[in-house]
Amino acid sequence: MEYLQIVFSFEALLTIAIGTIAGVAIGGMPGLTATMAVGLLVPFTYTMDPTMGLMLLGGIYCGAMYGGSIPAILLNTPGTPAAVATAIEGYPMSKQGRRALALKVSVTASFVGGMFSVFVLLMFAPFLAQQALKFGPAETFLLALMGLAGIISIADENSSLIKALIAGLIGMIIAVIGTDDMSGSLRYTMGMIELIDGIDFMPALIGLFSMIQMLELSGMRSHKIDTSMLEKSSKKEPMPKGISKHIALGSATGTVIGILPGEGATIAAFISYNFSKRISKTKELFGKGNPEGIAAAEAGNNGCVGGSLVPTLTLGIPGNSVAAALMGAFIIHGMIPGPELFNEYADRTYPFIISMFVANGVFLIVGLSFAPFLARIALIPPAIMVPVVSAFAILGSYALNNAVFDVYMMIAFAVGGLLLKKLGFSLEALILGLILGPIAEGGFTQGMIIGHGSPWIFVESSIAKGMWVIIFVLLIPPLLSYLKLIRGNAKQS
Amino acid sequence: MAKKNVDRAVLALLIVMAVLLYFSTANYTGIALKTSAKYVQFLAVSIGVLSVVQLASSLLREQSNVKLILTENMVRFGGLLLGLIIFASVFETLGFFIPAAVFIPVIAVLLGFRSYVAIGLTTAGVLTFVYLVFVQLLSVNLPGLEF
Repeated sequence: MEYLQIVFSFEALLTIAIGTIAGVAIGGMPGLTATMAVGLLVPFTYTMDPTMGLMLLGGIYCGAMYGGSIPAILLNTPGTPAAVATAIEGYPMSKQGRRALALKVSVTASFVGGMFSVFVLLMFAPFLAQQALKFGPAETFLLALMGLAGIISIADENSSLIKALIAGLIGMIIAVIGTDDMSGSLRYTMGMIELIDGIDFMPALIGLFSMIQMLELSGMRSHKIDTSMLEKSSKKEPMPKGISKHIALGSATGTVIGILPGEGATIAAFISYNFSKRISKTKELFGKGNPEGIAAAEAGNNGCVGGSLVPTLTLGIPGNSVAAALMGAFIIHGMIPGPELFNEYADRTYPFIISMFVANGVFLIVGLSFAPFLARIALIPPAIMVPVVSAFAILGSYALNNAVFDVYMMIAFAVGGLLLKKLGFSLEALILGLILGPIAEGGFTQGMIIGHGSPWIFVESSIAKGMWVIIFVLLIPPLLSYLKLIRGNAKQS
Repeated sequence: MAKKNVDRAVLALLIVMAVLLYFSTANYTGIALKTSAKYVQFLAVSIGVLSVVQLASSLLREQSNVKLILTENMVRFGGLLLGLIIFASVFETLGFFIPAAVFIPVIAVLLGFRSYVAIGLTTAGVLTFVYLVFVQLLSVNLPGLEF
């Protein structure tokens, strides 16, 4: 009761609201991530009351995770990497004039995923943190494989499965560029010092999703705006039936993956998306604008918020990079993460956790209120939208590392990606490979060291065996349907 | 150029890349030989085999001579691309604001937008927004001239 009073004071509510709205805005801008925002604002909270400071940062974390879905749906430009899966379904819905529904599904799923994960954090944090420690490099590798299995799902509705796999591998090969973690030597950098840390996925993301869109728009013969789409979007569409099971699935998946140290919201969103496709009754609509995919992906990445704080607060092991920045804030305020947080500093820790329920409520209200206005983005003439979005794409690519090289990378990814897209290669698969490649390599190489060079390490533990079963369950149905398609084509010809 | 020919050229390039990638692992040293090198070899073999299969299937199948069209309007497409490259090349010396103040109106006009008041207001709005949010609020260090 005492903690609730702290959270529901005027000052605390205002702090949470400001943090959450700022988070939504930051997450909505490609190039600005939740990690960057929390990292930048940690020093500012130093002079604030510790509880208020933590609430502000918690609000930013929750808001930014949702905010990434807004440009993903409206402009095919994921604000954060975790919103890539959302763009796959959200943008086609936008093009069909269903952007208001897509935004509504996204904010609702984000809300449920966020609330569920914070509830789990509040109730079971210490117990779950102990379980997460059983997760080693071999299991991390398998988790990345589970995410990469999504490549098969992306492709199984058309005939270019091989091209989707090739695109995924191109992404994984690009991710290899940079310093080899094992030997410390440089790989494939061609003597360029800008490539020492490898190719950042943010310029790639902006180039492959946002800039390609702008290049295509600029090269279109006609730039007429189809206002009928807006009329359609202004008609209130109810939430699709059966969407709740996809939200529930995404929430649980995101929370579990968030709890695992080092795993992020991107992998959670993709795995949730993949699971959702497997259980969906409308599989054929995936990739063409299925709200179920948005629901699972958004519930998945927001489920990571509470999940990632489980090992952070109880063991001092950050669940992901944002949680690491938040951990810095706890330490700045003299609170060392560990069991002490829940005993000695309970009067700060519990209000912080409870404040995240409020933050989820704030972005739900903001999202539902602004969705109809955001949907009107369709009225902006492409001739003015293209230069504005391009300018932001340049700024977003630059802002992450303050490097002009990243801007050139973004342009290169846009041009190369456009060529690959026209040839039928899946850009979603490429970006999936680029993001999950380093996680897969890290898990594989560390696993090989622990296993003294034997690959049996990847099937030894009971968790690993269970994960292999899930991977096969994810892979077999799309592979079978692909084989059926080939046989069908062969019979026809 | 025919789409099938570009497709085959890309696949052939990928096969060459796979071979080079595989043999590059001979330069790995120490522990990397048993770890990172194996991973890279796996990637090289996978992409090589898949590219060969795709290329073979493309060569064996009858395919139409559809042309590869990257864009319907080369002037606008090329103009935007050129604008982006110029923007990036002067970014470090002139910063964001001056190039953006030129880039946005020029590209808008190039794409056929003729409402000059709307262009001016949009450009001013974007620059003000970037200044307030990126420079003032988030302290992002933009290069070039300072305001």
